[in-house]
Amino acid sequence: MAKYVYSSSPHIKSPRTTRRIMIDVCIALLPACIAGCILMGIANPAYPQLGLLSFVQLLICCVSSVASEFVYLLCCKKSFKTILKEFDFTSLVTGLLIGMNLYPTSKWYVGILASGFAIVVVKMLFGGTGKNIVNPAIAGRIFAFIAFGAAFGGAMGFVNPKSGDTITVNSPISKGSVTAGATPLQTLFSDTATSSLTNLDLFLGTGVAGCIGEVCKLALIIGGIYLVVRGVLNFRWPLVYIVSTGVVAVLIAWIDACTVDGKFVSALMGSKFVPALGAFLPSILSGGLILGAIFMATDYVTTPNTKLGNYIYFVLLGVLTAVLRKAVKGEAVSFAILLMNLLVPLFDLYIRRKPFGYVKPVREKKARKNEQKEGA
Amino acid sequence: MKTFKGGFHVPDNKALTENVSVEQMPLVPDYYVSLSQHIGKPAEPVVAAGDEVVEGQLIAKASSFVSANIHSPVCGQVIGIEKRRNAQGATVDYLHIKSNGKQDKFTLPALSDPTAEQIVQRVADAGIVGMGGAGFPTAVKLQPKDPVDTLIINAAECEPYLNCDNRLMIERASEFIAGVRLIAKAINVSNVYIGIEANKQEAYNTLTAIDGVIADTKEALANKKDGDIVVVLLKKKYPQGAEKTLIKACVNREVPVGALPAAVGCIVNNVGTAYAVYDAVVNGKTLYKRLMTVTGRGVHTPKNLEVAIGTPLSTIVEFCDGLIDETAKLVSGGPMMGFSLANLDVCTTKTDSGLLALTDKEASTVLPTPCINCGRCASVCPMKLMPMYIDFYTTVGDTENAVKYGAANCFECGTCAYVCPAKRPIVQSVRLTKMRMKEKK
Repeated sequence: MAKYVYSSSPHIKSPRTTRRIMIDVCIALLPACIAGCILMGIANPAYPQLGLLSFVQLLICCVSSVASEFVYLLCCKKSFKTILKEFDFTSLVTGLLIGMNLYPTSKWYVGILASGFAIVVVKMLFGGTGKNIVNPAIAGRIFAFIAFGAAFGGAMGFVNPKSGDTITVNSPISKGSVTAGATPLQTLFSDTATSSLTNLDLFLGTGVAGCIGEVCKLALIIGGIYLVVRGVLNFRWPLVYIVSTGVVAVLIAWIDACTVDGKFVSALMGSKFVPALGAFLPSILSGGLILGAIFMATDYVTTPNTKLGNYIYFVLLGVLTAVLRKAVKGEAVSFAILLMNLLVPLFDLYIRRKPFGYVKPVREKKARKNEQKEGA
Repeated sequence: MKTFKGGFHVPDNKALTENVSVEQMPLVPDYYVSLSQHIGKPAEPVVAAGDEVVEGQLIAKASSFVSANIHSPVCGQVIGIEKRRNAQGATVDYLHIKSNGKQDKFTLPALSDPTAEQIVQRVADAGIVGMGGAGFPTAVKLQPKDPVDTLIINAAECEPYLNCDNRLMIERASEFIAGVRLIAKAINVSNVYIGIEANKQEAYNTLTAIDGVIADTKEALANKKDGDIVVVLLKKKYPQGAEKTLIKACVNREVPVGALPAAVGCIVNNVGTAYAVYDAVVNGKTLYKRLMTVTGRGVHTPKNLEVAIGTPLSTIVEFCDGLIDETAKLVSGGPMMGFSLANLDVCTTKTDSGLLALTDKEASTVLPTPCINCGRCASVCPMKLMPMYIDFYTTVGDTENAVKYGAANCFECGTCAYVCPAKRPIVQSVRLTKMRMKEKK
């Protein structure tokens, strides 16, 4: 007799699986990876090998991320076959993101250790896919930043062809003396350095120093649009994050411009507002904001579960990013996301949905009052 | 187009039987009629082993207020009471009737101009229950405790694959409308709406062509006469045909948590129920037949059938030229809320709207993976619950918190489990929590 599957309803299910979503994210990340490799090589005539180094960096991170997941699961005495069968590509996404968050000049072991830390400590030890309390890629980047300092790289070995803005440092990779340019964010907030980069340069990533994945905003946005079209990403959340960062950055620039010798001059407020608006585009187009907003802050696992919660979460994230950028001048996006990730359980605890046909429960005190009234 | 918040566009697969006319299921030798085909107490048999019965004759009577009469589907001899499994998997009493091939019919006297009380009495006598799937005795529904001002006929048929309501509205439109008017008379309301999903354009056109039935457009509503029935075209979205979402879409009223539709002055009845009421009042026929869609890519010839209650599913499948070898799952009812069958050794009841044979490709049998907290389940929940928490707390055995997140308000439409990329068995979790709640009490 034929045997039929016996289960609870529903008996049909959507073709979308976790694995497919993660493959979509990988596909969405590809344009930015490719653009990063090309830009690092071409836009840097003095050191075209940086393009190849970017590619190697990405490869190292992907392989070590996936490998650390496999090793961890093998240590948990899972058979290789089941691991392969249950492999859902989340570690590949993490690996790609970590690679994109490194500089082409970062030392080779930085990527390996950051990936291992992200996968084993941040993801697997907390229970694997869906159980991590912070985004593994963000944690990996911050781990690399704090633990390695100079080996992490910064914008070393990068010459801005337009400004020729260079500082001589020792490159961790080529062993020779190479030059480094200030990242656009550093010029944005410093009083002395001036950047010759236009907003279009920032958008396309031409001549911009930075991490492999974050330089070409156009490629990142193309990836984001792909995710929105595939129904993986809600376009609202990155938009809320990016816009709120820009708005707060404008406010900060405005207040700055009105402050003369440490005193706030309210008479300047009118005349300084329009110039302050100029801070909007550079602040959203520079640094890792767009990469963070589209691919890391919107991680399903580490965002609140309600619409209202998400609005508050992403607006706060934007405010925090803009303020941190002003205050500490570096790693603002990653620390903002890390901090807000840790607050997500609070959002989920205190912000709940009202169910369909919700009836407001009568408070005990009020009920008693009403009774007393009726009694009187 | 009117609709509700939440829900999801589930591919409907209705094309398989959309244009297939209703066929009569031929006589089979054995019928097993369940004594509990409705919500409430099982009916009490009034015949004994060896008795001769005719088609339509009362064989078991309602045993309490919430219960329903049951009638013989065929002329023949009662063999006795047997315990058998029903579609839900429970073992219940069945009356085994062997047909003798005679064509005699028992009918109640036809009522030409019945009063409200007469209609309700006839509905009770004919054993009519809600034919959408729940099987709540209709006579009880027609005597609401709260005052009602609106009757809504559920013609959404939002379950994918099924077409029996659709075919009934196309082929027996005037009888159906007459049935709707009888129900409206029984509960004495003049606001009557028929909620129909946009994918049933043919049925919509057929209905609106009838005198006294108008479309839900501005011009038509401006010329609305007293007693006109309004056909509301609803957006094609699952679960549009659930009672609460249908009321929200048609008349924009929200049924409070834990209350019945009557709390907002509405009564909802199914298409099949309205037709059964017509048949009982005008033709005096008791309820022992219903329309049913036999479909899915596992059936050789998908069909819409009119089957007698108590027909073994195996004979129905045989009439549809059997199953293909790749059939992976059998479902009684619709694919979203129906019951999975272990085998075809089950008989039809008054609430069976369909029999599906799904292939492995159609019926997803992927195993669950960990929840990734994507929030899709919450965004599609028509009751605006947070299914991910219900599933999580049920899995860890925390009934209290699962109830806190609204497990009791869930009507198990299955939209959350459909969209879940991790394939979490959310509906199963809800049922488990509901069961644990009962045990605690």
